[in-house]
Amino acid sequence: MTVSVMIVDDHPMWRDGVARDLGEHGFDVRATAADVDSAVRVSATVTPDVVLMDLNLGEQSGVDAIRAIVQQLSDTRVLVLSASGEHADVLEAVKAGASGYLVKSASVTELVDAVRRTADGDPVFTAGLAGMVLGEYRRMAETPSSGGPPPQLTQREQDVLRFVAKGLTARQIADRLVISHRTVENHVQSTLRKLQLHNRVELARYAIEHGLDQEQE
Amino acid sequence: MTTAQKPNLHDAVTPLWWGTIVLRWMTLAFALGAVIVHLDEYRNLTLAWAAFAVMVVWSIVTTAAFVRVRSRWAGLVVADVAVTCTIMLLSPLALSDYQFAITAPLLTTVWASVAPLTAGARFGAVGGAAGGLIVAVSTGVSRWTFDLDVARDGLLLFASGMIIGMAATTARRSQAAVSRAMRTEAATAERERLARSIHDSVLQVLARVRRRGAELGGEAAELANQAGEQEIALRALVTSEPLGPSDGDADLRAALGVLATSRVQVSGPACEVRLPADTVTELLTAVQEALSNVDKHAGEGAKAWVLLEELSDEIVLTVRDDGPGIPEGRLEAAAEEGHLGVAQSIRARLAELGGTARLDTAPGAGTEWEIHLPRPVDRRRTTR
Repeated sequence: MTVSVMIVDDHPMWRDGVARDLGEHGFDVRATAADVDSAVRVSATVTPDVVLMDLNLGEQSGVDAIRAIVQQLSDTRVLVLSASGEHADVLEAVKAGASGYLVKSASVTELVDAVRRTADGDPVFTAGLAGMVLGEYRRMAETPSSGGPPPQLTQREQDVLRFVAKGLTARQIADRLVISHRTVENHVQSTLRKLQLHNRVELARYAIEHGLDQEQE
Repeated sequence: MTTAQKPNLHDAVTPLWWGTIVLRWMTLAFALGAVIVHLDEYRNLTLAWAAFAVMVVWSIVTTAAFVRVRSRWAGLVVADVAVTCTIMLLSPLALSDYQFAITAPLLTTVWASVAPLTAGARFGAVGGAAGGLIVAVSTGVSRWTFDLDVARDGLLLFASGMIIGMAATTARRSQAAVSRAMRTEAATAERERLARSIHDSVLQVLARVRRRGAELGGEAAELANQAGEQEIALRALVTSEPLGPSDGDADLRAALGVLATSRVQVSGPACEVRLPADTVTELLTAVQEALSNVDKHAGEGAKAWVLLEELSDEIVLTVRDDGPGIPEGRLEAAAEEGHLGVAQSIRARLAELGGTARLDTAPGAGTEWEIHLPRPVDRRRTTR
């Protein structure tokens, strides 16, 4: 089955280049967008399997678009394709619901592979993202929050994340821990899901505390 | 005298200079009044008028010079004190004994108080006080006596010169601080603007060249590789922390970020990892040493990963490569031969900091450094 893709990036040259690369590899590039509003609007119409999202959309942040898209399209997955220096933004994007992160300097092969895996529902984790997620869990554990207890990693999840952050592939990790490749993916997936869930709960609590839930009606 | 500051084109003490100019003309009017009031009492009225004429000329000269920042010459300020004292010291020749007896004003009258203020504005507290003291001594010499009146005048001259001098120094220092802050702010803003513009243009093109070139292969791939190296270096440059005062702390996360290349990936928490600047430098050097070993021994195609972790009680750094690893006994053999290699250097560096460094390696499994450093106690409980 052909995977449908939408590309959100404010640079025409980059956008068109990626669209062509993906087209040549058999993906159905349904739409492109350059800003948050059109990304949210157009994605609702074309319902792509995967949205490739740049985080730096001129003055706007791709994180806002991710939040809206994930909320309105439960079957669409978002893969962040962004510059490597934007640590905090990438973490926010993942917390908002993106299921993976790839740096723009990645090769076409890596990109194609990442889009396929995203469409299959697998997380796309670079070493860089794993390091950030590890750091975020530790930060949450040390910073007391107003709400319930922060999510925690199991020992196994932590081991897996550390291996990813140190550059080991899922296959290598599976060999080291004597578990299946699938189990490694599941552990990674679970670290993300807990983070996203916690983020949603925190946002909802914030909204209720500040009366934002009523204003939006 | 303290080092005299060269006045710059935006002299912070310009209002003080204007004050001295206004005061000079007001006191000159007073001097005219004094001559008229005591007209019949002078021993040598011509000399009194001549002295007044010189004071008028000198007032014009100094006013013309001091209104402009560039001509507030140190020499003229010194001359101001000298001229004032000289006219004052002519008083015994012009004033009658009667005038001295009733403590009538000297030739310079209160006009003499302006020179110490000018000296204060130009040279600061010490200069102002010195100018005041010189004029005060001249007063005493002119009257050839030392009584309560002379002491009071002297004290006032000394104090006013000093206070104006202190005000001038304070004004200059705050102006310097403000302009420093403004420069830093302007530099930061400019840096952000450049970073945005580089991100929006050059980096996009480099990323594109790198990807497209890699696909084309051959020489294009080589060029693509170079474009990629530049892309990463430029990115690290524009996202790194602007240099500035930081209480002796530095961000280890940002420092390590600069090490990223197409073959070295750096991971860590999204937020800053602040440590004393010396510690950051040492850790950075240790990681660089480990990476240089990768370059030397792990072969052309080897990749390396640097992972920074901030635990509640320690900092953990891992440097891993996927090269062929180091054969067993190789390190021991090198040590026996007296080669204090990179490994020793890294361990020594960490021992110095109070941490540990462990090297794991096996043939075919790459090498992995794990560096542990207990966090400084005073920072352990700080929250972000």
